[in-house]
Amino acid sequence: MATDSASGPGELTAQTEESTDRSDSTDDTTDLPDPAFAAYAEESLPGAGVGAAGKDGRLELAFARDGTETRLVRDLARTPFHVSGTLGHDPHPAGETVYVQSPAGGVAQGDRHDISVTVGPDAVAHVTTSSSTKVLSMERNYAASDVALAVGSGGHLDYVPAPTILHPDARFGQATTVDLAPDATAVVGEVVVPGRLARGERFDFERYASTCEVRSEGELLVADATHLAPGADDGPGPAAPGMLGEFAVLGTLYLLAPAADAAALADRLHEAVVADGATARDAAAADRDTDPEVTAGATRLPNGAGVLVRALGHRADPVTDRLHTAWDSAREDWFGVGAPADRRQ
Amino acid sequence: MSDTASNGATDDAQADAAVLESLRLADSSLPVGTDSVSYGLEAFVAADRVADADDLAALLETYLRRQLGPGDLVALRAAHAAARDASDGRDEAALTRVCQADRRLNATTLPAEFRESATRTGGRLLSLQRELRADPFVEAYARAVEDGETPGAYPVVLGVVTARTGVGERRACLVACQEFVTALAGAAQRLLQLGHTDVQRVVTECQPAMAAAVADSADRSLDEMTPFAPLVEMRSAAHERADRRLFLS
Repeated sequence: MATDSASGPGELTAQTEESTDRSDSTDDTTDLPDPAFAAYAEESLPGAGVGAAGKDGRLELAFARDGTETRLVRDLARTPFHVSGTLGHDPHPAGETVYVQSPAGGVAQGDRHDISVTVGPDAVAHVTTSSSTKVLSMERNYAASDVALAVGSGGHLDYVPAPTILHPDARFGQATTVDLAPDATAVVGEVVVPGRLARGERFDFERYASTCEVRSEGELLVADATHLAPGADDGPGPAAPGMLGEFAVLGTLYLLAPAADAAALADRLHEAVVADGATARDAAAADRDTDPEVTAGATRLPNGAGVLVRALGHRADPVTDRLHTAWDSAREDWFGVGAPADRRQ
Repeated sequence: MSDTASNGATDDAQADAAVLESLRLADSSLPVGTDSVSYGLEAFVAADRVADADDLAALLETYLRRQLGPGDLVALRAAHAAARDASDGRDEAALTRVCQADRRLNATTLPAEFRESATRTGGRLLSLQRELRADPFVEAYARAVEDGETPGAYPVVLGVVTARTGVGERRACLVACQEFVTALAGAAQRLLQLGHTDVQRVVTECQPAMAAAVADSADRSLDEMTPFAPLVEMRSAAHERADRRLFLS
């Protein structure tokens, strides 16, 4: 499990190019995405080793408030990540947007990616990806990504990448940490697609484990874990009742605002994400009579951290749209402006 | 090892006392309010997703293997281990470990109603135990809950009280599973008008999943708690806002 970055939110000065190599990529046994990955970690790779050059993608972004604007003050991108610049299409007047590109075909076995995004005091940043992340088929070892997000006092981060698509036999682990100043806000999202659905792939991947831990001033507020292992013979699988049931795509959005009234926001977001703005009761009725395209709900996160929205659907787009509705609504609530439109299309 | 006859008799008496204590704690008449919780089951029934005993048994397997095993039971074991090592009520290190398990479980339990149900029933079990026997460690933990230092979630309270009354860790996990299944089967009995035999059939069918959940929890550290059942969470979110409901969760 990744630990919080050494520098806390708000420390954006005196950035220097990192010259030391990562050492943790060779230390897999102590940093597994989940204990179930231990057997994969023992499988060596042919050719370039685990986390070798080209397999050790690194992305570091830092944003700082500068007068009425937010500026990208640091961007370090190592293959396969690429940052081409910023876009100012956020409806928030101080907002800055970065689309991260990944020209490689996808995430491969042995890849160890490391992403860190730091948002300084009062800065407003939106980081997303220019296309879906494809986790490719694997025969040996696994792929992993560590994501460390930090937001300083009065700052805001939207970290809402395009969906992650899990190809057959993919093994992927992801550990996300969010370190928030008490009066900071963040929206962190993920959509997981269990295969190239249009090709008839569905839950043909091997294992997907993703954790998200939210901290503020050192205190753990939220620890969430998503763990899907369709091939494992260890109890109810993804299609079991109470798991994903008949649905394929899982969307999760954490709307984090430790200083805000989570109960009121949870109620508003729940209403916004149940089918087409219907009330919860109507949604339950719709659920009974027909097979809805998406089922969604919102609840208060522990320790006053904010609101969790989950959406399950048959396809990625409706799930993404439903999460966008919640994101939009929370942004209206906090800032009086909605979420940035999706410019990928 | 050579037990004298009297030592053997003492061991037997202690073992018997622990069994009796575990049966008492697993009894559905234990007055801790488990008859008021459904952990989202009421919303599954309202949406016609659980309509009979088979549906119920399948859903309970998900709860056991995907929520309790990788979640509640890990915290229960950690609390049990800390509390059974505690020398007395002034063992701050042991109390800290119990509170860590409690807070970690709370941070891991995402549906708001699940946290509320766990702290409500946990609080009632804690005050019940304090009435029944004086144990300085239980007292110290209860004070920490009262002071708001730690949530007092049911699995953690159960871990503490079982450890302090000689009930073993694995048995305590089985008690938690039995209690959970009988609580939800009881809720289903009211919601679905299930017959007594059907309810017992469901409970019996769940026994392998209970044992598996206990095994699942054995080798996990607190930061390896990974409860995950998204449709259960979503039903709970719907239940929070339901107009008419019999159960608190």
